[in-house]
Amino acid sequence: MAGALEFIPAIPLLPFASFLVALLAGYFAPKLLPKGGAIPGIVATAGSLVVSVWAFVTVSQGEYIAESIYTWVAAPNAFSLHFGVLVDPLAAMMLVIVSLVAFLVHVFSLGYMNDEGEGGLHRYYAGLGLFTFSMLAFVVADNLLMAFMFFELVGLCSYLLIGFHFRQQGPPSAAKKAFLVTRFGDYFFLIGVVAVFATFGTARFVATGEGAHAFPHMAEQALAAVGGEGTMPAHVAHFLDVVGMSAQQWFSVVGLLVLGGVIGKSAQFPLHTWLPDAMEGPTPVSALIHAATMVAAGVYLVARMYGFYALLPTVLAIIALVGGFTALFAATMGVVKDELKQVLAYSTISQYGYMMLGLGTGGYIAASFHLLTHAFFKALLFLGAGSVIIAMHHNENMWDMGGLRKKMPVTYYTFLSGSLALAGIVPFAGFWSKDEILYEALIYGAGDSPILLAAYAMGLLAVFFTGFYTFRMVVLTFHGEPRSDTAEDPHGVRWNVKFPLVVLGVLAATVGLVNMTPVAEATGLHIEFLHTWLAGPEGTAFSALGYEHYHHLLESFAGYHAADIAPFVPAAVSLALALGGAGLAWLLYSGPAPTKHTEKLGAARTLLYNNYYQDEYQVWLAKGVTLPLARGADTFDQGVIDGIVNAVSSISLFSGGRIRRIQDGIVSHYATMLTLGLVALLVVFGVTGGWF
Amino acid sequence: MMIEALLGVTLLSALVVMLAPDRIAGKLAAGLSLLPVVGSVWMFVQFDGSGNALLEGGSLAFETMTHWITIGPYTLNWHVGIDGISMPLVVLSTVLTTLAITSAWTPIDERQSQFYALMLLMEASLLGVFTALDFFVWFVFWEFVLVPMYFLIGIWGGPRRKYAAIKFFVYTNVASLLMFIGFMALVFGLDVTTMDMPAIAQAIHAGQFGTTYGLGAETLKTVAFFAMFIGFAVKVPTVPLHTWLPDAHVQAPTPASVMLAGVLLKMGTYALLRFNFTMMPGIAQQYAVPIAALAVLSVIYGAMLALAQRDLKRIVAYSSVSSMGYVILGLVAYNYYGVGGATFQMVAHGLISGLMFMCVGVIYNTAHTRMVGDLSGIADKMPVTAAVFIAAAFGYMGLPLMAGFAGELFIFLGGFGADFAHAQLFTALAMFGIVIVAGYLLFAMQRVLFGPFAAETDYDIVPAALHDTVPIVALLLLVIVAGTVPNVFYGMIQDAVTPVVDAAASASAVVVSTGGVFL
Amino acid sequence: MVPMEYYLLLSAAVFCIGVFGVLTRRSALLFLMSVELMLNAAGINLVAFSWFHGNLSGQAFTLFVMALAAAEVAVGLGIILTLYRNFDDIDVTNATTMRW
Repeated sequence: MAGALEFIPAIPLLPFASFLVALLAGYFAPKLLPKGGAIPGIVATAGSLVVSVWAFVTVSQGEYIAESIYTWVAAPNAFSLHFGVLVDPLAAMMLVIVSLVAFLVHVFSLGYMNDEGEGGLHRYYAGLGLFTFSMLAFVVADNLLMAFMFFELVGLCSYLLIGFHFRQQGPPSAAKKAFLVTRFGDYFFLIGVVAVFATFGTARFVATGEGAHAFPHMAEQALAAVGGEGTMPAHVAHFLDVVGMSAQQWFSVVGLLVLGGVIGKSAQFPLHTWLPDAMEGPTPVSALIHAATMVAAGVYLVARMYGFYALLPTVLAIIALVGGFTALFAATMGVVKDELKQVLAYSTISQYGYMMLGLGTGGYIAASFHLLTHAFFKALLFLGAGSVIIAMHHNENMWDMGGLRKKMPVTYYTFLSGSLALAGIVPFAGFWSKDEILYEALIYGAGDSPILLAAYAMGLLAVFFTGFYTFRMVVLTFHGEPRSDTAEDPHGVRWNVKFPLVVLGVLAATVGLVNMTPVAEATGLHIEFLHTWLAGPEGTAFSALGYEHYHHLLESFAGYHAADIAPFVPAAVSLALALGGAGLAWLLYSGPAPTKHTEKLGAARTLLYNNYYQDEYQVWLAKGVTLPLARGADTFDQGVIDGIVNAVSSISLFSGGRIRRIQDGIVSHYATMLTLGLVALLVVFGVTGGWF
Repeated sequence: MMIEALLGVTLLSALVVMLAPDRIAGKLAAGLSLLPVVGSVWMFVQFDGSGNALLEGGSLAFETMTHWITIGPYTLNWHVGIDGISMPLVVLSTVLTTLAITSAWTPIDERQSQFYALMLLMEASLLGVFTALDFFVWFVFWEFVLVPMYFLIGIWGGPRRKYAAIKFFVYTNVASLLMFIGFMALVFGLDVTTMDMPAIAQAIHAGQFGTTYGLGAETLKTVAFFAMFIGFAVKVPTVPLHTWLPDAHVQAPTPASVMLAGVLLKMGTYALLRFNFTMMPGIAQQYAVPIAALAVLSVIYGAMLALAQRDLKRIVAYSSVSSMGYVILGLVAYNYYGVGGATFQMVAHGLISGLMFMCVGVIYNTAHTRMVGDLSGIADKMPVTAAVFIAAAFGYMGLPLMAGFAGELFIFLGGFGADFAHAQLFTALAMFGIVIVAGYLLFAMQRVLFGPFAAETDYDIVPAALHDTVPIVALLLLVIVAGTVPNVFYGMIQDAVTPVVDAAASASAVVVSTGGVFL
Repeated sequence: MVPMEYYLLLSAAVFCIGVFGVLTRRSALLFLMSVELMLNAAGINLVAFSWFHGNLSGQAFTLFVMALAAAEVAVGLGIILTLYRNFDDIDVTNATTMRW
């Protein structure tokens, strides 16, 4: 069965081929390109999906792969840089998620882009293809450098797709912001990558084969050596000398640097500001970005190198705090938004905050689980929103909607399924995963870590807000009476919109069943499939990527201890909060003509509606600080540095101008000078020669 | 004899083109310039050199050495040859010349035969600079490069062309003088009777000092090092000796800008590598911290200046200052990735900055303005140009799988593992350049390419002609190839820089510690 | 025999008259004449030394100088004519356009 794993490179390369086809055929032979490039894209992502599933099945039989497939830079005297594939259970799961969502997004685009008569379709499909390619290649990356490279390419694709409607003002600006803000995070990430190479001499996630090293493992060895077990790898020891820090300090610095990239891409506070603006992109792109690709990349990266992070309690605490804070912070902003996609944007930030919270509190499986469920229900919600937007003739304001439930039942029921999942209502997917994150946060927090408890508290509070804004959105959009002419007579949608919705709707309702921890605890059944899936094998190199190993690291290096708390009470609390939020939204907004209750919040609403003025200060940093600084530098350059150059030249010019006046063209003056010169010479010779 | 043939063909082409009528000069020049391209690519494929041209233990490809003149006790030879450092630069020069000539078809409409003849003349002298291994021969070529460039700016340039041309010529020439004096002082202090660069390099390494004017060998070396460093730093250019560059770029016609940014600036870093960093590694390591600080200053300050500009050409000009700062950082890092990356970055930046200037030129050809505020949404009117522009800009920002990323990554890897004090801090600071570069290029693109179409110009914005599109697309493909398959020429670069790094390690009083393990 | 000093004084006097003429006159013709005086002063010197040392080369040179002076006059007159044609005058201070 090793067959599937040999075809791994095909998974990213198929969408890349569709990118090339769309790009070249779109330029040279647009007539030959069926549906503006949609068909090649659909075929390619379907191919990727098939191979991914095949790989998934292969992995489930315990066959993993980690090998270099292309030496990017061969360096005989230093470490070589290479591209490789690493497919373990985590990657296999992510491959299926990404290729499935990408496939559905391609299908949906037929309805959203082609049927709506958008121009520049080949550009759109080329962008989607490249996006899918970059993300899939990122997922299978076997080392941090390759991960970084495709991480950056994902950023490029988001730029191209968010700015798809480049003839308008908003999208290019949003695209620029998305790239710039994430680039700021990636700056730290790149330092992190370089630091990993400088410290460990390798950036592999896992070591397979003779003489291979993996940096998480080397970090573990180094820290163990500090604790008195084994010896520290020589060059790690040397580099620690160079930077003059202890192993724990330096690794924490490196971990935080890499985390910079994660915070940028996964839109965590304070680099979350690009994400709501990114809604300027076409809705299917939003679905792709937020559910399965760009934003997921950050969290996936932390999960991918969890063997490194699990060693560093400081970094874990920061991850947990950032995550918990972001979850709450973004959820509060989602409460007051008027536009459908804006609500979803803040919910995305919030949900990724949960995943970070999970990773930071040692809930590796819980976070991966939430990554899985969120991918499906968030893709569903965005595609559902896209369907609504088609119906509403591209009006996104929820106050103009209402009553769409009867007009578009398929969209309604699937959207509802996604919303229940998002709000965390039992038994929909989001409940199980979010609850598990909170549970992990609670047990490790209660195990003597007040920071994690604080993060847990924020996460728990956010559940209420999540329930509220989710159902505010559902009620305003689908219930009540139509509040505008377009809502009276919405535009119909075709199979190509409904099919992805149904697939995702079913998944959003059921995918949570793969890991029902509370039920498993209660019944004693072994139904925590995801736990088994991610636990990792025993006795092979890949065991270093399994949860069993991470758990060991968390306990022995990060000092995490789980308190003994039964899962029921916490689950009930969070469910109650979610229901409370949802119920409050129902109470406030159901009815034929809901009022804008959030207006009553006054100053608080203004603060929330303006996103806590986060954009303002970042724009101020760019326009109010950096730009004047640049202008100042320019003035300095022109005035002082070039001024000196010009001053030197003006001195020569000036003195030359003066001296040349001697040469006035009057022959008599020349003769006078000659004579005087002769006389002067004679006098000098006379005096020095002693004639007088 | 291959190098002589290359030089001869190029010079002969220049002569033929100068005598040709204007009507056919452009196409004739492009056609003739393909000969050196073919020649250099053939040489690239056949390349069999190993090691470094100046240090022992290597062999040169296509080497010729014959006695030329004797002046006093000194023997001057015609000595040319190619090693792994010069080979990619030779190919870069020939390829970029052809593309620049093609890109000149549209904008250059007067005294065409002279223009193209000067371009070819410049190519010949650039090839001379990158292949000459006798100081005398090298210096003749080095100085001669200025002449065609002076006329290209002075005759076909913008409104302030005279100012720019004279500033360019005088500034760089004064710098060359300083460098010449420094090097000559060093050579006269040495116990040699030749101007042969390998012989001089080996004599310096062996410490064969005779008369040193009562200074002591170390002092003489230090003085010579800094005289040469300043001389070359002007050419690179390094802050604060950079102010000739933006003026020259803005005033120069686009094809001349392409050559200026693409190849001429690399002469500075090439010479720094060949002379300062190969011949006197001890001094370079001793002053590594100030040099690295200068490099970081160039990177950040150059990028900040680019941020403040409105003229697209000025933006690219200042960002060249920024990018060349990385090269100096890589050189001073003195490890395999650092010096190799610096050399790689020379080629990568040559390709990318050439591409950027060509894109700006294509826009200027039709819009007749380069000001960021004057244009908006031109992606609508010239989609292919805009697409290449975007790709080029991302290349400049160091997008992975394009040449710039590879070069910068190598330099960062080198810089982070370097030995001098606070190397990591310097490298991290320099890396902030990748954020600023994204800032100004993204702002410029947003305003020029995107948004509703508007153009404050009296000309119609029309899509670029095929002969303008082909060069930029070709160059873009080269950038991508160099970024995806850097091994194509990074192997020979590494081979050539290894002796430099090893020599530095043995010259250094302290053991090159990090380098000893794996860097 | 007339002592050497007398010849030298005569030559110096003639030379000084010539210099004076060159420095003070504005007419190109007088200029030319003054230059001739200076040349001849040099000639006197040459002849005097030649006579004194019993070496004829000095006198031979003087013959050359005289021939040269004649040629110079021809060129000089030509220049003066051109000067007159261009400036309607032969005042040397008018012709200042050939500087720089």
